[in-house]
Amino acid sequence: MTEYDMTSVGRVSNDSQQIARGLRERDIALLHALVEQYQYRLVRYLIYLLGRRDEVDDLVQETWVRVLERGRSYDGRSRFEPWLFAIARNLTIDHIRRRKTLSLAIDLDSDDGGEQDKTPRSPASNDPSPFVLAARTEDAQRLAQSMQTLDFIYREVLVLRFQEDLSLQEVATVVGAPVSTVASRIYRGLQTLRTLLDGTKHEN
Amino acid sequence: MKTDPHATFRNVIDKTLAGGASPEDDRSLQEHLAACAQCQEYLSAGTRVIASLGGFSFDVDPGLERKVLWSLTVRAQQLETAQSHRRRIVWGCVGALVLLITGSFVALEFGNLVAASLNLPPMQVQRLLLLVWVIPSLCLSLLFPILPVLSHREERFL
Repeated sequence: MTEYDMTSVGRVSNDSQQIARGLRERDIALLHALVEQYQYRLVRYLIYLLGRRDEVDDLVQETWVRVLERGRSYDGRSRFEPWLFAIARNLTIDHIRRRKTLSLAIDLDSDDGGEQDKTPRSPASNDPSPFVLAARTEDAQRLAQSMQTLDFIYREVLVLRFQEDLSLQEVATVVGAPVSTVASRIYRGLQTLRTLLDGTKHEN
Repeated sequence: MKTDPHATFRNVIDKTLAGGASPEDDRSLQEHLAACAQCQEYLSAGTRVIASLGGFSFDVDPGLERKVLWSLTVRAQQLETAQSHRRRIVWGCVGALVLLITGSFVALEFGNLVAASLNLPPMQVQRLLLLVWVIPSLCLSLLFPILPVLSHREERFL
């Protein structure tokens, strides 16, 4: 694993019309450039969304294939990023639903009268938090554990607003919720993290 | 009923941090902050949280980009093949329809003429045209649209 080279960001023109044209024509060269430009941001968004690292790579791959398949539905009237993140989000939610159905099916299959093992079956449940591994500053280290426990609806609006620099309207488009809901999720998320950061600061 | 001014300004600070405050909100907040240490602290705590979020740097598998590019190339080829397949079917269908229309026209217009010049009953010539031209082209034009369904079924069967 290497740290992603952020210097490649900005190589592709931000002209959304140009991107829309390229996607309509299924221009592979443009797609390659988009992958290079948005790869890190997509990985980061998916980690914030899932709260785990192990399933992110598959979802990144699925997202780009979906971008290729559905590229014609991007009209270029809005920025590319919200459209990309909305695709990633929908795929992730479908993935989580499938996982839940599967784990429920496994539970039902192995239901042999109460003798079965009741421990969680998720293989990644004991993995270290991706936030702990990714924390590079003291404050980030303090937040890392809490990020894992913070509900994904707060994590995702925080990353979209403050890391991806999307407007409230764009965040609302990605998460499919009204702007007022997005705003209150941001307040709640910030409030929770502020309390945690203050708490750990006082402890330290 | 009295409202706590600090609580009101804390809401404004939240709004400002989220990017949803109006210019008036910003102005009144700036005036309040100039004289309120408590709200200044609240604002700086919020700013610190936002800054902390930038303190995470995730590792990306260097092979991921290659994998993504490979799957994109493969999928693009599949889509291109499917598209050209569809295009061939459409053109085949159009061609068969043209044959059908031309055949019917020829059968109607020149059937009697041909029959007279060959000393054959007109009905026989029309039947012949129907057999060698109209029916095959009609069959082809009906078959082309269902070709993808048939080939898909064959793929599934294999």
